[in-house]
Amino acid sequence: MAKADTGGNTGLRKGRFAPYGLLSPGIIWLLLFFLVPVAMLAKASLSTKPSRFAEPVFSWDFSNYSTALSQYSDEFVRSFVYAGIATVLAILIGYPLAYWIATSGGRWKNFLIGLVVVPFFTSYLIRTIAWTSILQDDGPVVALYRLLPWVGADGRILATPMAVVGGLTYNFLSFMILPIYVSLEKIDFRLTDAAADLGSPPFRAFRKVIFPLSLPGVFAGSLLVFIPAAGDYLNARYLGSPQTSMIGTVVQNKFLVQFDYPQAAALSLVLMVIITALVLIYSKFLGTEGLAV
Amino acid sequence: MAKRVTRRDFITRTGLAVGGLAIAPSILAACGGSDSSSSAGGGEGGGDLAFDNWTLYIDKPYDDLYGAGGTLDEFQKSTGTKIAYTENYNDNNEYFAKIQPLLSKGEPIGPTIIAPTFWMAGRLLGLDWLDKLPLDKIPNAKNLITNLQKPPSDPTGEFSLPWQSGMAGIAYNQSVTGRELRSVADLWDPAFKGKIGMLTEMRDTIGLIAMSEGIDLAKPEFDRFQPAFAKLDEQVKNGQIRQFTGNDYVDDLEQGNYAACIGWSGDVVQLSKSNPNIKFVVPESGGTLWFDTMVLPKGASQEKIDAAAKWMNYVYDPVNAARITETVQYISPVQGVQDELRKRGADASALADSQLLFPDATTLANLQTWGTLDEAQEQLFDEEFARISGA
Repeated sequence: MAKADTGGNTGLRKGRFAPYGLLSPGIIWLLLFFLVPVAMLAKASLSTKPSRFAEPVFSWDFSNYSTALSQYSDEFVRSFVYAGIATVLAILIGYPLAYWIATSGGRWKNFLIGLVVVPFFTSYLIRTIAWTSILQDDGPVVALYRLLPWVGADGRILATPMAVVGGLTYNFLSFMILPIYVSLEKIDFRLTDAAADLGSPPFRAFRKVIFPLSLPGVFAGSLLVFIPAAGDYLNARYLGSPQTSMIGTVVQNKFLVQFDYPQAAALSLVLMVIITALVLIYSKFLGTEGLAV
Repeated sequence: MAKRVTRRDFITRTGLAVGGLAIAPSILAACGGSDSSSSAGGGEGGGDLAFDNWTLYIDKPYDDLYGAGGTLDEFQKSTGTKIAYTENYNDNNEYFAKIQPLLSKGEPIGPTIIAPTFWMAGRLLGLDWLDKLPLDKIPNAKNLITNLQKPPSDPTGEFSLPWQSGMAGIAYNQSVTGRELRSVADLWDPAFKGKIGMLTEMRDTIGLIAMSEGIDLAKPEFDRFQPAFAKLDEQVKNGQIRQFTGNDYVDDLEQGNYAACIGWSGDVVQLSKSNPNIKFVVPESGGTLWFDTMVLPKGASQEKIDAAAKWMNYVYDPVNAARITETVQYISPVQGVQDELRKRGADASALADSQLLFPDATTLANLQTWGTLDEAQEQLFDEEFARISGA
């Protein structure tokens, strides 16, 4: 875009700043609502509190970080394992669905995509709590579940890791389906015909042609599922047990019950750093040049 | 052939739809106009005083807070004082987190009266964030039950007055347990593995367990409570305890997810009406007795404080107190409510005979109230409790 104003034309030169002008709302937004809060979080994470209810005082106190890592490593590991499983499950469930809508949806496409969004009409909290009714120990779902050969008569779904991962998958599934659908939707499916003409069996055509073309969607979807899932605490709170608590649970408790802002801030920053690292590794691995990460 | 939706169209439309969804509630809310409820800190405006209380804690005729014949309506009619009543007090710690930044800077929070549980009232008093009550303008305070007049959380009795009182004990679903429960030890019966619930309210959970270990609650010190924490830790680790919850334990109990749990008397009284299998018992080793208070956070004008005094005086009249008790079914702090309920007859007089609303001397002797925890001690208790409960 900057190539045009090498001509020395004053009119064009004036326009040199236009892109920045256009960008400014976004930049101001980022500054105000991302960089400033992160800086405040970083400051809080290096503070100490003289007494429990006093304001934290900045003191280069790195012990918050060592405690965060040593004391809550279980919760961190659990958060990433649960979020990872939920992401994989969301791909396994969401990809075929998006594929089917994109290829066979016909004139119902918009309607079907609308249906994917329908759960958002109800609040996230209500949807999560609804599962506690569906999966209640006396309910029909658990009665069926108990018929499985490896489940005992006192088997249960709620208050298990399975329920937490299930809740995460359910709650964030739409964020996987939509981007995958968008990337599949723009693919010219005559490519599969071309592949068939050249002697490729359908699955091979999918694997070699369609799937790689849809990777940006899978990548975007994975981020949209993994990042919020790793920091989530509602699913662990309502569907889990004390043994399934995630890092979000700890942060929530540190902020709202114990007023340990420095420790909570340190935990949040560690979470951010780990997520960023994982995302960078993932983007390298998937090699999606379309997305500037 | 169906029209292809381009990527741009799709994003625009989805964006519009999602944006619309996001904005709709606020537009609707804006159209709602003079809704009297508002968030904490916004309770000012409106009446001569504002009271921010817990939910389901006052009578609501016709499901309307200000319905004709209700306490709020009668109060406004008989005193000419306007009250803005809100129900945003949901959790002691959460509420504290909301008001702490304001009160620590000496700024008013909005509501004239708030309803912290006694220990939280003690904390606010210790931080010097409460105004003195104009007791000379609340003559009916003489009607209060004696042991609630100068409680340990407010030794001079000048800063807090009780709203309602209740007990924590064992709530159980007999269709799941198949037997009656009597003690905290019954909760650790291996037959109920994974079906036992605890409250996130530290004082009730640890209090009940501590009493079962023979530890008294009057002068709590962290070291002496180690056996109680150890017991809780053991029962979490071996999977006996399924979950720690707030008031939502009520659903788990009804749905059979819990065989038994620690619960609050008033809730269980209300539940057992529709489900007689749900029972409440004060364990043999003892239950906790708690009370919620009315306090004046600093920063209200003298007019508002005077209006607040009118309200407190009003609700300590046994006739008005009985009207509230009939609905909320907790222990009233006001003497004479029992007689008033008998006078009302029918359902109300049945309540007058309930041990859970009017505990007799034997029941009361089996209940303990927590002594005050100083800041450092409370932090130790909270941290250990959070660690064990997986938070």
